[in-house]
Parts: sequence; C-alpha cells; structure tokens
Amino acid sequence: MTRNLRQQASDALTASGHYLWSGWGSLASLGIFLAIWELTAQQLGPLILPTPIEALTTLRGLFESGAAWPEIAITARRALAGFGLSVVIGSLLGLAAGVSMTASMMARPIITVLVGMPPIAWLILALLWFGAGDGTPIFTVFIACFPIIFVGAMQGTRTLDGQLKEVARMFGLSTWMKLTDVYLPHVVSYLFPAWISALGMSWKIVVMAELLSTEDGIGAALAVSRSHLDTAASMAWIVALVGTLLAIEYLLLEPLKRRVESWREFASSSN
Amino acid sequence: MKIDRFWPSTANLWLCAFRSFFLLTAGHAVVAMAWWLGALAGLLPLPELPGGAIVWHAHEMLFGFAGASIAGFLLTAIIEFTGTPAVDRKTVQLLLGLWAGGRLCYLLAGWLGVLPAAVCDLAFLALLTARIAGPLWRQPSRRHLAFFHALTALTAIHAGFYLALWRGGDAMAWLLLGVGLMMILIVIALSRISMRLVNDVLERQGGIAAPYLARPPRRNLAMFAIGLFSAAEFFLPGNAVAGWLALAAAAALLNLLNDWHVGRALWQRWVLIPYLVYWAMALGYALIGLGMLAGSNWNSAGHHLLLAGAMALSILIVMSVAGRLHSGHGLDHRRWLPSAAALLLGAALLRAAASLPAFAGAYLPLLHSAATLWLVAWSLYLACSWRGLTGPRPDGGKGCDEAA
Repeated sequence: MTRNLRQQASDALTASGHYLWSGWGSLASLGIFLAIWELTAQQLGPLILPTPIEALTTLRGLFESGAAWPEIAITARRALAGFGLSVVIGSLLGLAAGVSMTASMMARPIITVLVGMPPIAWLILALLWFGAGDGTPIFTVFIACFPIIFVGAMQGTRTLDGQLKEVARMFGLSTWMKLTDVYLPHVVSYLFPAWISALGMSWKIVVMAELLSTEDGIGAALAVSRSHLDTAASMAWIVALVGTLLAIEYLLLEPLKRRVESWREFASSSN
Repeated sequence: MKIDRFWPSTANLWLCAFRSFFLLTAGHAVVAMAWWLGALAGLLPLPELPGGAIVWHAHEMLFGFAGASIAGFLLTAIIEFTGTPAVDRKTVQLLLGLWAGGRLCYLLAGWLGVLPAAVCDLAFLALLTARIAGPLWRQPSRRHLAFFHALTALTAIHAGFYLALWRGGDAMAWLLLGVGLMMILIVIALSRISMRLVNDVLERQGGIAAPYLARPPRRNLAMFAIGLFSAAEFFLPGNAVAGWLALAAAAALLNLLNDWHVGRALWQRWVLIPYLVYWAMALGYALIGLGMLAGSNWNSAGHHLLLAGAMALSILIVMSVAGRLHSGHGLDHRRWLPSAAALLLGAALLRAAASLPAFAGAYLPLLHSAATLWLVAWSLYLACSWRGLTGPRPDGGKGCDEAA
C-alpha cells in the first residue's frame, strides 16, 4: 500500500516535471511572437508600437516605482470577487437546473440570451445602476461568467450516467458515498473546465470595465497612458496583464484541468 | 587506383566508407586546431588566406572537420536506413580526394585563387548528395528525405560562401548560416540515432513501460526556430529580432529535452552525451540571444558552444557508435568515451568563456586550455578507435554490416 502510494506520488511528480518542462515549448512560441513584435515595432516606430524591450523596461520601472502592485491588486480583487460570485451562484443554480428536465428546458433560452448579450452592453447597464466604483466591474465580470458556469453545472448534472446510479443503488451505497464517489467526480469534471474558462474571461472583462468606469486598477491605468499617448506604458500594462493571465493559465489552471480531464478520460476509456 | 597494392594495411580501410572519413575527421580536428593554435601564437606560418584567418578556421571546422564526419555518417547510415548496397570503393576514394583537395586548395588560395578550393569542396558535397539521393528517393516511404534536403541546402550555402569569398563580400555570414543548418542536421540525425540508443538502454534496464520517442512536433519546432534565427542573423545581422529568435531556439531545444527525461537511463553514456549535445546547443543560442538583446556581443561565445560543444559532441557520439557497430565491434564500453566527451564539453565551455567580457583578462589562458582539451579529446578518439577503424572485422561480417 505504502509502495503503491509512493509509486503514485513519484508518477505524479514525474508528470508535473514533464508538464513544467514543456513550458519551454510555450516560451519558444512566445520568443517567435516577440520577434514578430520587434520587427513590426521597428517598422512602425516607437510612437505607434514600442519594442518588447522598451515595454519591458517601462514595466520594470512601474514595478520599481511601486506604481504597479496597487493597481494589479485592485484589478485582481474585482476580478476575483465577480468570479467568486458567479462560481457560487452559477454552480448552485446550474446544478439545481440540471436536476429537473423542466428547469433545464426553461433555462436554455435564458442562457442563450445571457451568452449572446455582449459584455459591453452589460457594462453600460452596470454604469447606470452602480456608477463609478467597484460595483460596475464586479457586476460585469459576474454576469459575463455566470452563463458559462451555469451551463457547465447543468450539463454535469444532466449527463450523470443512469446506469451508474442504478449500480450504486444495487450495491446499497450510502447517500454520502453516492455523492462523493458517483455524482461529485462526474459533475466536477464538467464544472471545473467551466470555472477555468470563466476565470480566464474574468481577467479580460475586468480590465475593459475598469477602462470605462473606474479611476484605479489596470484598466484605468491603461486609459491614462492612452490619454497621454504613452504607448510604452500602455504596452507595459498590457504585458503585465497578459503575463498574469499566462501565469494563471499555465501554472494553475492547466495543471488542474489536466488532472480533472485525465479522470474523465480514464472513466470513458474504462466504460 | 589500388592503394592497398602499395600499402597492404589499408585494405581494411575500404571495407566501408565511414572508416576513412571518421579517421580524417578526428585527424583534421587535431591538425587544423594545432595549426590554428600555432599560427595564433606565431609559431607556425599561416599563408595569406582569402577572407582572413578567422574565416579559414571557421570554414575548416565546419566544412572540413564536420564535412568529413557527415560524409562518413551518411554513406553508412543511409544505406542502413534504406537497405541499399554499400557505396563502391572508387566513389569513396573520389570523395576523399575531393575533400583533401578542398583542404589543400583553400590553404593555397592566396596563390591559386578561390576557384580550385570551391570546385573541390562543391564537387565533394554535390557528389555526396547525388550518391545518397537515389536510395532516399527510391525508398517507398521516403522517411529520411530530410537528410537530402539538409545536404542540398548545405551545398547551396557552401556555394554562397565561395561566391561571397570570390567577390570579396561577407563570407562569414554564409558560414553562420551553415552553422544553423548544421544544428538542424544534428537534430535530424540525433532523432534517428537516439530512438535506437535510448530504447536499447531502457530495454536493458527493464521494467520501463513507456519507450522513448523522439517526438516530431518538438523536433520540428526546434528546427523551425533555429531556421528562423539563422535567416534573421543572415538578413538582419545584429538586430534584436534575431536575439528573440535565438532565445526561441534555445527554449525550443530545451523543450526537446522533455523526450529525454527518461529516468535513471539518462546517466548512461549513450543517452547522456546526446542529451548534453542539446544542452550545449540551447546554451549557445541562449548566449547569442541574451547578448543581442542586452547590446553585448556574445556571438563568438555562443557559436563556440554550438560548434565546439554541440557539434563536436554529436560527431563524437555518432562516430563512436556507427564506427564501432559497422566495423563489427559491439558498442564501446571503455572509459575513454565519457572522458573524451567531458574534455570536449570542457573545451567548449572554456572557449565560450574566453569570448565573454567577464573573462577578458584570462583570454589567452582560457583559449589555450580549451584547445588543449580539444586536442586531447580527439587524440583519445584516434588512439582508441584506430584499431577498430583500420583493422579487420572481428565478427566475420562483410563491408558495412552491423555487428550482430
């Protein structure tokens, strides 16, 4: 048993090592992208597009002067608040809707409307409702992420394998065991990818909302640098934003997603 | 021409094409480097050379030293991969003559002009390409056609080099393009050889479920990035675009190493030496890239890591494996091979350090110690492989057949 555990731990460690190492492949693609950026910047001149080095130097300046961290913290707080709200409400409502066929049928057109509504339209409404402040970006993030999570949760519940339920009943599993061993792994395998897509989306939405509605945060800093025609600072903020997104995506979400999806693959291959 | 009529002991040399070429590779590594060192120290005369002494040194290492090893490897490997009959002795002798003619004519180019050297060197590559083209194209799957493409590109680059030399243009830029192509050729060749070597080691260790695979997408990304960098270095010399691409190439090479992280087997010489080839290559490109982006010129350091490190190590491992197996001996388990690899790696690192501004004060001692390690490494190869390459097959096999 201990040996088995040790083997599992060492396998997981090897897999994580391989995954982390494969980050070099992503860096190679990024290097090629930066070369294209550099070439374009050289053709267009620094006023239109600064070179990657100029953008990175400006970004370093922003960090060294202490201007960057507070803005990043504010943006992160808003994005995470909106995202957290949509995770809680979207998951609960989605699960509930998935249990009943009627509720799913009813929810579908509403979700289509919510998904189809562009975030910028929500932003205008939010500005009217909440004014300039934390409320607007948080609400916009929440309402943009909500349908994604709702659909994920609903599908997770709807696609529960009827046969498995039957088997669980036949073996007389307790409700707790049914929940943790049969229902939860399946639902999570749908819910989790939805959370991940929503988290990625929340970062993009929050900056857009800040750009138009608030006086602090990365989005507002972008608006200021645009009004000063400071292309280097704009690019620096964009780099900071995309860098954070890449780090979250590749260091946190992708490894988690792999674990969850490997469970689903395992389940489907053993069926 | 029956050389063995006059010198009977050479008979075994003609059993297979690689024997003479591998000896020439190591011999040239020693002679050309010793001469270069002697000339730098002012002890040996260096005739007036077109393009200057540094171009000669770089050209000899690339097209003389590596050129001979490529000929030996391809003339042996392609017939093995495609199952075609061995190259006839006359073609091998003609190739050897052209190769040697190229070396001599270049040295005498101050008097003769560059044309004789160009004719010899280009005829050598053209003949080699023509000889391997048939088997590669005739093979139904055409799996190894990449060798043909690489060799054709190498011939074109060499022609460009001589044209630039003849016109008095920047011949070094063509040599740098050749370095990139050589790195691509190494990635192609190592992917073929490593599949066999690494899996043999894994198999011997037993109990490994997943075999080693040289995955084409990773390899292709690395070759693509190297190709992009070389093109940028050629068309936009000193530009930061090339710097980013060099970093991309370094990252792509490190990404390639993910195939090689196979556990304990990595510490076996057959796996570790090719693994170090990629490390040297990645470090070389990283140095070039960082230098370009930081505004410092670390090109020489980076290129020496690519050539004295990656290229020399890959030549050593290829010659040690192919040279032993196809002369009827089993794999060489003696200690000289890891020692020679360590010496070459040390030589590359010392030579790279010599070109870095941080060690500028110790330039000459570093240069001399790097060259000494290089000379010892290749002398070791010559001493330990001489009997295998010039002696009869111990297994009763014929020609280039692989040892049972």
